[in-house]
Amino acid sequence: MKNNSILKNTVHTIVILTCAFFLSLLIDKFFSASGLVSAIFVLAVFLVSLLTQGYVYGLISAFISMLAVNFAFTFPYFEFNFTIQENAISAVILIAVTSLSCALTAKIRHHEALQTETEKEKMRANLLRAISHDLRTPLTAIYGSASTMADNYTTRSDEDKLTMLTGIKDDSQWLIRMVENLLSITKFDTDNVKLIKSSTVLEELIDSSLSKFHKRYPDIAVEIDIPEDFVTVMADPLLIEQVLINLLENTVQHAKGFTRLSLKVFTLGKQAIFEVKDDGSGIDPDVLKTIFTSFSHSNTSDGKTHSMGIGLSVCATIIKAHGGCISAENDKDGGAVFRFTLDLEESI
Amino acid sequence: MNNKYKILVIEDEANILRFVTALLQANNYFVIAAETAEKGLLMFTSHHPDLVVLDLGLPDRDGTLLLQDIRKTSPVPVMVLSARSEESDKVEALDMGANDYVTKPFGSQEFAARVRSILRSNRHSAEEGKLPGGKFTSGEMTIDYDARKFYIYDTEIKLTQTEFNIIALLSEHFGKVMTYSAISKEIWGYFDSGSTKKLQVNMANIRKKLSLKPGENKFISNELGVGYRMH
Repeated sequence: MKNNSILKNTVHTIVILTCAFFLSLLIDKFFSASGLVSAIFVLAVFLVSLLTQGYVYGLISAFISMLAVNFAFTFPYFEFNFTIQENAISAVILIAVTSLSCALTAKIRHHEALQTETEKEKMRANLLRAISHDLRTPLTAIYGSASTMADNYTTRSDEDKLTMLTGIKDDSQWLIRMVENLLSITKFDTDNVKLIKSSTVLEELIDSSLSKFHKRYPDIAVEIDIPEDFVTVMADPLLIEQVLINLLENTVQHAKGFTRLSLKVFTLGKQAIFEVKDDGSGIDPDVLKTIFTSFSHSNTSDGKTHSMGIGLSVCATIIKAHGGCISAENDKDGGAVFRFTLDLEESI
Repeated sequence: MNNKYKILVIEDEANILRFVTALLQANNYFVIAAETAEKGLLMFTSHHPDLVVLDLGLPDRDGTLLLQDIRKTSPVPVMVLSARSEESDKVEALDMGANDYVTKPFGSQEFAARVRSILRSNRHSAEEGKLPGGKFTSGEMTIDYDARKFYIYDTEIKLTQTEFNIIALLSEHFGKVMTYSAISKEIWGYFDSGSTKKLQVNMANIRKKLSLKPGENKFISNELGVGYRMH
């Protein structure tokens, strides 16, 4: 990575300086206007400092430009001469331009970094707000039901108590899933935590995800279509399992009136493409735009079912960390399609 | 009273200990509880339980070390409770001889089912699995160790040598999660970077021969990144 950037910077520097040199040669030949030549080199040095990282390349180009101007374009031609005051002054000007433009670009870059940092901060704050909001509802219900039962244990009917206990059970199950999602996100909270990708057998990944999904939703059938061949992808299996469960669960909770739910995986080039598709009501176009970034799409009008809240944005975070793409769209035959890609393991 | 299974639960968190105890008692087991590793070992040596439920995150000592101590003297089935942050410890615990693991948070039904299966499978291997030349039967599966044949209902499933060895090995450890490295060492005698892939390819062929569909969770369950279990 670092070697790569050194190479890139060097190539930039050489290309720009060579262009400037030949342009100057041309101009010198046709116009014999030496003032223009200095201007071209100033521009070249400025471009180098703009396009490369750090001061080094800019200063080196300034030095080379100064030598080039001195050597080729000022009297005495094609000979170095440092005694003429004019040449010394133009050298100083070149160095000054370089330092200033380097400082300026550094400042701009710093500013940009700051801005992305602020945006990240903002996203984190939004996430926290959404989570706190989402956590409060089930917690209130659990706390309320439990204390009502404890305080009125003898007066409430058995049936009543059972209803409240079932409510507590459901709400805490939801909380567990929420926390699982949060834990996944915190895995990449800091940029320097690298994801550990391992060779994962596609069939086993699908098998494990579906077993877990069936445990939570025993009544919902999922149609499966995966390659017959032995396919392996590079991934953190537990995180991708979570993505699959989140996507399937999202359908169960949000696709109104769906009767079929399918999970299809196929390979294309060096990638595996995963597709979760339903034949429900589809996704509201307004929601579609921000479906992976808005943390709380609380358009569940009945207010009873919990929104998946952070579920889909967790999917997006996980897939992006794997270097894959994730998308959502409405199928032309109705229903929604969620799609994401993972790299196949390169066969040896 | 005396013919109840005796289960030792070693768990430091009072709330979890309370609910696990209540759940096991409701399922008609006799429960002994310990909150620390030290007390757990003491209880273990004096009570000789039929099953140990062991939390890996104990305050006084690493749960895996306690497991090692237990394994020095006894083949008692051990079920490990692990939090998600202890995922890598899970494989370590299995390789040290734990029979199964449950990740927190877990549901009561799942937990009870695992306990049932672990106690049942322990009886299995004690009575039949270890006997050479015996037969193994569980539900629809029958394995004839002598003839090296594998049946679902009464239909023979043709397996290669390696595939049969894997099936036989898993059946000998019925109900127990076998890690990739444990299986590879038994089947090929060593474990290296290619072993897991070789094992996974064999398992894929076995699944195909048994015509198992993804998510069906029949006969053999696959524990992502950990290993396989026959159930």
